[in-house]
Amino acid sequence: MEIPVPLRRLFAITSILFFVVLAISPLKNALRPYRSIQREYARLGAARAKSQKVAQTYQSRSVAIQQIWLPGLQNRVDRCTTCHLGVQDENMAGAPGVFRLHSRSFHTPKDFDRFGCTSCHGGQGLATLEEDAHGHAENAGSPMTPLPFIESGCGRCHTGEQVAGAAILSKGRKLMEKAGCFSCHLVKGHEGFRSEAPPLESIALKTGGEALKRWLKDPKGLDPNASMPNFRLADADIEALTHFIFNTKPSRLLSEKVSSAGAEKLGDAVNGKKIFAEARCISCHTLEGKGNGSAPELSKVASRATQPWLLAFIRDPQAFNPRTRMPRFGFSEADTRDVVAYIVSEFKDFEAPPDMLNPVHVNQTLAEKGQKLFRQFGCTACHTSDAADRIGPELNRIGDKRAASLDFGKRKDVKHTLPAWLQAKLEDPRSLGQGLKMPAYGFSPEENRAVVTALLSLGAEPVPDRYQHQPATRASLVPGGAVGALFERYRCLSCHQIGDKGGDISTAPLTAEGSKVKKDWVAEYLLLSYTIRPILTDRMPVFRMTKEEAALLANAFETFYLDPSIPEDPFAGQPASSRDPAEGKHIFDTLGCKACHIQGEKGGYYGPPLNEAGRRLKPGWTYSWLKSPQRWRADVRCPNYGLTDADALKLTSFLQTLVQKPNSAKGGGR
Amino acid sequence: MSTFQLSTLTTWIRSSAVYRSIVRHGVADTNRNRSLIIFENLFLHVHPVKVREKTLKFSHTYWLGGITLVASFVLIATGILLMFYYHPSVPQAYRDMKELMFVVDNGVFYRNMHRWAAHLMVLGAMLHMLRVFYHRAYQPPRQFNWVVGVILLLITLLLSYTGYLLPWDQLAFWGVSVGTNMAKEAPLIGKPLRFLLLGGNIVSENALLRFYVLHCVVLPTALLLFLSVHIWRIRKDGGVQGPPEKASSDEVES
Repeated sequence: MEIPVPLRRLFAITSILFFVVLAISPLKNALRPYRSIQREYARLGAARAKSQKVAQTYQSRSVAIQQIWLPGLQNRVDRCTTCHLGVQDENMAGAPGVFRLHSRSFHTPKDFDRFGCTSCHGGQGLATLEEDAHGHAENAGSPMTPLPFIESGCGRCHTGEQVAGAAILSKGRKLMEKAGCFSCHLVKGHEGFRSEAPPLESIALKTGGEALKRWLKDPKGLDPNASMPNFRLADADIEALTHFIFNTKPSRLLSEKVSSAGAEKLGDAVNGKKIFAEARCISCHTLEGKGNGSAPELSKVASRATQPWLLAFIRDPQAFNPRTRMPRFGFSEADTRDVVAYIVSEFKDFEAPPDMLNPVHVNQTLAEKGQKLFRQFGCTACHTSDAADRIGPELNRIGDKRAASLDFGKRKDVKHTLPAWLQAKLEDPRSLGQGLKMPAYGFSPEENRAVVTALLSLGAEPVPDRYQHQPATRASLVPGGAVGALFERYRCLSCHQIGDKGGDISTAPLTAEGSKVKKDWVAEYLLLSYTIRPILTDRMPVFRMTKEEAALLANAFETFYLDPSIPEDPFAGQPASSRDPAEGKHIFDTLGCKACHIQGEKGGYYGPPLNEAGRRLKPGWTYSWLKSPQRWRADVRCPNYGLTDADALKLTSFLQTLVQKPNSAKGGGR
Repeated sequence: MSTFQLSTLTTWIRSSAVYRSIVRHGVADTNRNRSLIIFENLFLHVHPVKVREKTLKFSHTYWLGGITLVASFVLIATGILLMFYYHPSVPQAYRDMKELMFVVDNGVFYRNMHRWAAHLMVLGAMLHMLRVFYHRAYQPPRQFNWVVGVILLLITLLLSYTGYLLPWDQLAFWGVSVGTNMAKEAPLIGKPLRFLLLGGNIVSENALLRFYVLHCVVLPTALLLFLSVHIWRIRKDGGVQGPPEKASSDEVES
């Protein structure tokens, strides 16, 4: 059979086309971008090289895919170094774009081979094309973590609350705790979290109908320190909730405390003012914005809380709210009356209507409606005395959630990435869909960034044990018995830290307190505390504890809170010359310690005055501190002078000679 | 020395014992030799010795069966290459897919060839069936080959379906979840069938392994077997059936 000519031509053309098509794939393979990038790197490296020999090693590099393989870390394979060839190459400091040297950090350059790249930066380590690797291509897999949130990578291994060197992450984690995220959302490590919010039963005793309505409308508007978010409630819902709250019956114990306090006469406001200042309430509270801000603003408190309640609450805050951070002061009955007299005379909203604190006449129908709303909005998550009622989704894997599985609702202005979604969610939680319940927390942009960083650190896959870094915790932080009861009563851990637990108000952790300060000094200080560092505005309150209590605590520090690496007597076994205070004085002057510390009449205000150093500090501690201040407090500004043992000891012996009693004018009364 | 001649070499090769054991017929262009070429070759013997010119007309076959056959050969070739890089295990399967796309030389090409050839094979088989149906080629004596063809279509669809799970991505997972849930609704045998197919009650690593074995061993073997029968029967049934003709005398064959 003769094949017609047109058919033969068709056959010829398609055959040629077929071979061309077959050639495309090998060609694409040969022209992969990383090849030219590697050649460019060799050229650049040779040009920057300091010697001919180094230049030759650059030129003789073979073009090949580079990778860091970590079988022990989720079998990670990071091929980022196929293009980013200069990350570990000192020769590439300041080199342009893709070749530049990785900035120095705690883990770089030493830990590249331990962590690879994607464990911090995210993205697709396996890929060898930019848009795949960085995750910008469609369906490329999860994209890289944007640099503003890079500290989320630290948090994958560092699961503790505070991570040294990762300020944003630490701030975010602290904010999550403060905002009470864990009340509604389950997060690993925070299963036992309980909100500090007061139980409902005491609210009707505390406040009035109008005041409560104003509070529900906008808690942060009334009190910038409030941790309660804005639920954006409608007026009708606020009405119903108010009726529900006033319908809950307080326990007999509490109502008796309040009613008996109501029968008392008003005290002396002038004396109250003195006690208020001495106790230093603003170490936690604020007054018109001045103060620490980790407890409620007090300037209008008398228009939010009734006088009898204030009296009963200050006498025993922990009875009203077992989880409060407020200590139970040792004020006498009369002293408390005076303080409350001062509060109700000064801390008032003078524009508020006089019926602010009148109780509500409960309407049962509204109260029942309010009860439903109370559940519906998830108020029970924080305001219950038993286990939390978590109504939000678990957040344990949120950091690895794919953008494709997120609901952006009608928001067109939000980028389709996880960090952008989280930011939008925190800014305006209910804008991302209908029927959402999450309230608005009113985070500032920096706080928002910190919380998003903390959320992104919650990865789907747990990091293997040997990569996990958890701060060492002591088995028993707080002793039981009488000492434990004092810790509870005075709420030491609201401000101080022991191990990695505790508040952040104080800059003095108690973990090694017994090795640090002398017992007699502590016992005195607990009775009448004063500012140790002049630059700080917060100082320990004067609790009005008894001498016996102070002695008990001082004993406990001396017995339990010790650091075995601090010697009790650093001079033991050292030559007699090491005890020479005169030489120590010389070192003291040479180093310029007076720039920060007051000694004698003069000195700086940054560090603690040293005139009483010998009364306050133990020599072992002083010596250990001088050897390496940062070992004891990572963020301290006191320079590490790299003193020899002998010099540190001489300086210690000089400081031990300074035993002046603190000026009483600087005492707690100020 | 005598000059070297090609003909003496070819004569020497042709007279050697090895050559004669492979090619058992003469070189003469006779009908007998033409038949022997076909009969005595394992690979050719399923083909007809003679093909009617009219059955090669484009309007008779649209080359649909041939396209399907070529697609299946492409699939076997690329599939074997893909098997070098693929582990049917949960932590590895999707990752291997990425490796194939990111670093394996021509990996994207092999994977895409496999995918598109699979689409082509399903499409070709369907159209081939329609063509046969509208040409009434299912009528005797080809009724059994129609049945074989239907089996082949089923095998093709099953191959396509089992291959769908292997990338172990979301699409695969939910595709197989939905598919096997539909199978579960079949009366009586539904639930045991699903259990057997998945090696459990959920789409898990067992399902992945089973689908892999089905996709790479069981179904291709069955396909090759039925394909051989199918093509062999074409010859036995007198070649390809074109559009129905008025006179049907030449279709009668033993």
